[in-house]
Amino acid sequence: MGNFDIISSFAIILLAALTHASFQLSVSVLTLLSGHALGRNTAHMRLLRLTGGFIMGAGVMTVLLVSLVAYVLQAALPSTTPPIIWAAYAGGVGGVGVSVWLFYYRDEPGTSLWIPRNFASYLAGRSKATKNATETFGLGLTSIIGELLFAFAPIAISALVLIRLSPEFQLLGILLYAAVSLLPLLIVGLLIGGGHKLSNIQRWRETNKRFLQVAAGSGLLILGAFVYVQQVLVTGVAAMGGQ
Amino acid sequence: MALAVDVVKRSGKRPTESFDADKLLRSILSACLSVRSPEGEAEDTAKNVTQAVVVWVDRKPAVTSHDIRRLASVHLQRFQPEAAYIYEHHKSII
Repeated sequence: MGNFDIISSFAIILLAALTHASFQLSVSVLTLLSGHALGRNTAHMRLLRLTGGFIMGAGVMTVLLVSLVAYVLQAALPSTTPPIIWAAYAGGVGGVGVSVWLFYYRDEPGTSLWIPRNFASYLAGRSKATKNATETFGLGLTSIIGELLFAFAPIAISALVLIRLSPEFQLLGILLYAAVSLLPLLIVGLLIGGGHKLSNIQRWRETNKRFLQVAAGSGLLILGAFVYVQQVLVTGVAAMGGQ
Repeated sequence: MALAVDVVKRSGKRPTESFDADKLLRSILSACLSVRSPEGEAEDTAKNVTQAVVVWVDRKPAVTSHDIRRLASVHLQRFQPEAAYIYEHHKSII
């Protein structure tokens, strides 16, 4: 694999991870969790343990999901991914991008997301009931699963790119994806740990929710277009030129 | 402290319950503490807001939980606007 392929593979993983980072379910749960903990007058160190446990859980689930999807794809696909698979993925990612544009947030005040209300109520209830780091770790795991409807697209495209890389680059790619997709959680965790008011964080999120929605949807559309051009059109033209 | 006033829940799915001033006080206190208001100030605010709501609720046969929340929010806005924002919006975070 040439340098260009490695660079373009990591560019796809980075863009996918940035798109994943603009999804908001985990940040919402962390905000709510912190609010309940502060509302109970929780000690600062305990608050840090709770938010740390949550972020750790979200990170572990992200790594597990990317690894699982990559493993399944590696087992299911031939050594060279056929253009039809790339085209299908590009179309799927673009489709999810459009649905993010249209549906991601509910059309109401606040930052309510387009996820089943029962599941949202469950997460809200758990964030209130959770009182130790082990439970917040589990909540972090669950919050990532709850957003799979949208987050599966960037995870799957990253996994498809990862299986073409050598094992050491695969590991690097998975860690890069997890680190970048967790950035908003880390930032919110640091802000809460640093004593910032929850109302300011939530107000910023509400004010900028349409921007984040457009950014996530556009990111997925660009990702789909990039993958299609690079893996289907360019590869197809190169193959024809070689004949 | 429970008054003989029925509270009709927002969705209408859960049964009505008696108005519980302590429950309201705890929720307002929690909102104040969640925006890092000092404990004493949070307790004073919670008591004042609860008292204002109790006066309004008194002698009404029934009120909705939505009305209680809206009124508490209006009063809380006067004392601690940041806490009022969280109090109003915490159900629409997820």
